Amino acid sequence: MHAMSAPVPTPQPTSSATSADVADLYKEIFTGQQKALEVVSTDRLTQVGARPPISTYLSQLWGRRHFLWAEARAKVTSGTRQTLLGQAWLVINPVLNGLAYYLIFGLILNTSRGIENFLGYLVIGVFLFQFTTQCVTNGAKSIQSGRNLIRAFTFPRASLPISVVLRSILNLIPTLAAMLLIIGLLPEDEDWTAAALLFPVVLTLQVMLATGLALLFARMTTVIPDIAQLLGVGMRIWLYASAVFFSIDRFEEYPWIVGIMEANPMYMVLDAARDCLLYATVPDAGTWIGLGAWAVGSLAIGFLFFWQGEESYGQA
Amino acid sequence: MARPEIDPFAHATVAVQDVHVRYRVPSTDAAERRRGANFVKRVGRTVFGNDPKVLVRALSGISFVAKSGEQIGLVGQNGSGKSTLLRIIAGLENPAKGRVLAESTPVLIGVNAALVPELSGEQNIRLGCLAMGLTPEQAEEAVPDVTQLAGLGKSIYLPMKTYSSGMGARLRFAIATAANPHILLIDEALATGDAAFRERSEARMQRLRQGAGTVFLVSHAAQTIEETCTRAIWLNHGRLVLDGPAQDVALRYRKWAWAVAKEKPEEAKQIIETAFSEREQTYVQVEESVQPRLYTPRHVRSSKTAPPRAQGK
Repeated sequence: MHAMSAPVPTPQPTSSATSADVADLYKEIFTGQQKALEVVSTDRLTQVGARPPISTYLSQLWGRRHFLWAEARAKVTSGTRQTLLGQAWLVINPVLNGLAYYLIFGLILNTSRGIENFLGYLVIGVFLFQFTTQCVTNGAKSIQSGRNLIRAFTFPRASLPISVVLRSILNLIPTLAAMLLIIGLLPEDEDWTAAALLFPVVLTLQVMLATGLALLFARMTTVIPDIAQLLGVGMRIWLYASAVFFSIDRFEEYPWIVGIMEANPMYMVLDAARDCLLYATVPDAGTWIGLGAWAVGSLAIGFLFFWQGEESYGQA
Repeated sequence: MARPEIDPFAHATVAVQDVHVRYRVPSTDAAERRRGANFVKRVGRTVFGNDPKVLVRALSGISFVAKSGEQIGLVGQNGSGKSTLLRIIAGLENPAKGRVLAESTPVLIGVNAALVPELSGEQNIRLGCLAMGLTPEQAEEAVPDVTQLAGLGKSIYLPMKTYSSGMGARLRFAIATAANPHILLIDEALATGDAAFRERSEARMQRLRQGAGTVFLVSHAAQTIEETCTRAIWLNHGRLVLDGPAQDVALRYRKWAWAVAKEKPEEAKQIIETAFSEREQTYVQVEESVQPRLYTPRHVRSSKTAPPRAQGK
């Protein structure tokens, strides 16, 4: 960090001593010094940079809501600003993604067997899963990439991963519009029933889940930076394990695989969303309870874990 | 909380108590590579391509108390820990040992603070103001003022990554002055920009200093410290060499720096050792404010429930 290469006004004892050792040679001189005592009281002064209690932290975070919003909104377009099509990429990208999966899994590998309205099934899976991937991978990098802001301003550091989630939500809006349009235009006839009104609830639970994970991995990568490298692989495995482009029914013979997959929160999100939008059914109580527990649990644990490390992000 | 007598320390605004900062950083020093490494470690380093880590003591045992109305200059050569100390006081980094107490949140004005490079200067002004905790209305009000101080003309609408380093520094400085902090930390801010900008920024600094309770100023130019500060602190290799009136400290630092520059190590050593021996070691004691106990825990025996006294009266 600080290269101490400038001349040191003391004889260097051995060539291998570091400059920090040399500075310590002054220690002897210190012992014979005059001493003064200053007493300060915590009545008026408070510790700088200390982690506030969680209630104060939450209210500080609320106080910075304008900053969060402004940062998310400013950055949402910055990724595509230099392209010719600009913001249109927010829609084109997931559509192309869905098309690629359709080509490989629907037409070549033919995993669509037994799935009613496969294109709709696939589009919901791909689009919604992409949101979680964005939140988690960018959230994990948020402390590293927000380092300039951290070194310049004092603000609750949870703002950074939360701002990433906000940005992903803003990204999701055009994607969702495209998704609903595709589903509506598809030749398969689906009934738009009151069940579709439950879709925002599913989405809210997904956002809570993603926020918790973003906070969790944001701190974990500051402790072990290598996690960011592993995260890409982890997210891909999760994608394959969430029945994005095949039906869970093909594992009927192995009940333990079905059991594991059904406990997977992203499978629950996709399953519930498909029930609401494609199959005009209200998701069963088990899905709601499971998903609700995952969402609240991950948000609470992620937030507490991130808050505990609040004092450590300056060094990141 | 009954305190009939006037608190004699009412004016303390910043208290730095025995602060130590250490970094573990990779070093390419060949001597470091050979030292104390067994075969396994060396193979490991070669395989993973890691350099051996060395401990750098950026600050060791810094203690002082700043009072309101003081303007404190920090002097010292490059890498002596001045900027680290400012970041610690601002709470942007936490010390390995010791702590810093302050009356209100100190605001650091530094030229190192980069913003979002993809955004335009104008957007960065709003974002920076909001990051400092201003409301959207206050931020909106501050925009013309900041734009005028930065003086970048139409470039303010261009992405910040297209700016030259001087332009970027001017904008960052202008943004940081938008807040009106009570405790102000300035890191080399006055040295940026061309002559016209320097004049404008100096006028702005003057105004800020008048409003602020306590000002810390880092500068390589001992003359700036002598002219604008009331007190100066000289740091050398993370240690506090001298803490006293700005005139005296800055003069000694200049003499020392001159001796180093002229390659007279004996003379430099003499100056620094005299300073060290004349220094008055400050010990900062923090009195915890005692919260009135409203209940007595049942599991504690009554003989042990004497109210916790403030440590060391």
